Amino acid sequence: MRSRVALVSAVVLALVIGALVVVLSRADPATTRKADSPLLGKLAPDLADHRYDLVSSAGQWVLVNFFATWCTPCIAEHDDLLRFSNAHALAGDAAVVSVVFSDDPDNVEAFFEENGGDWPIVLDGDGRIATDWGVARVPESYLVAPDGEVRAKIVGGIEYERLEALLAEAKASAR
Amino acid sequence: MRFVAWAALGVVVIGALVFGTTDRDPQTEAERVQAIAESVACPACSGQSVASSDAPAAANLRADIERRVAEGESAEEIRAAYADRFGDEILLNPPSSGAAAVVWVLPVVAVVAGGAGLVVAFRRWRRDW
Repeated sequence: MRSRVALVSAVVLALVIGALVVVLSRADPATTRKADSPLLGKLAPDLADHRYDLVSSAGQWVLVNFFATWCTPCIAEHDDLLRFSNAHALAGDAAVVSVVFSDDPDNVEAFFEENGGDWPIVLDGDGRIATDWGVARVPESYLVAPDGEVRAKIVGGIEYERLEALLAEAKASAR
Repeated sequence: MRFVAWAALGVVVIGALVFGTTDRDPQTEAERVQAIAESVACPACSGQSVASSDAPAAANLRADIERRVAEGESAEEIRAAYADRFGDEILLNPPSSGAAAVVWVLPVVAVVAGGAGLVVAFRRWRRDW
């Protein structure tokens, strides 16, 4: 009787562990996770400080990246953003714009001087841009199509290869 | 005599319900900001309102509520604007229309069904005695 109970328990445990392994192996990785947003399919809100205007980038895909220098995943994703920006600089088909989230502009300037990156940086002193875009925490990024429509929301850090795949997918669905 | 007791109980219950559900509008601008902040969820937290959270996103929303109230937007306009950007889950009080209205209707249905059950049970007990 005892051995039967043990056998059934072992089988149930094995099934639960197996199911967990399957679910976790199919889950999105921690980086470049696509997320739902009411903004998807709508025109991107203004980047309101007028230092950068999404309209002026018409014809380009734009990755609007909300970040802060105090945020560890933001620091970790910077090299991937740099790679993405450099990879598309020549073709001019995609660009990065960073929006500062609850951070000191001096820290941001020092961060870019030290780590590189010559894309536009938008200050958001009163947090109004982040609120307009529905940003809950950083890093969060939005992929905006050349027609100004928001096509994807990405939560967590960016990984270069996955971002390229996401851009290719968005370009294909836009055709 | 029994009728008077039941009528008095009814008056007390209805009075309590009316008192509890009537909105007492906040008077000052600061009170309006506080009331709205208490009804909006902090998008970066779990179960906290914008009024009670220190998260940067909550601070941004508090500042935005202050600005919108100063510009004359109503509480409903502000809440609708946030639902439009963050989704309905940003609202701590669910909307009273659509599928979310079930949240408001279900307790009433439960109270009515419970009351009806009690009436039936009391009648049965009285008959059995």
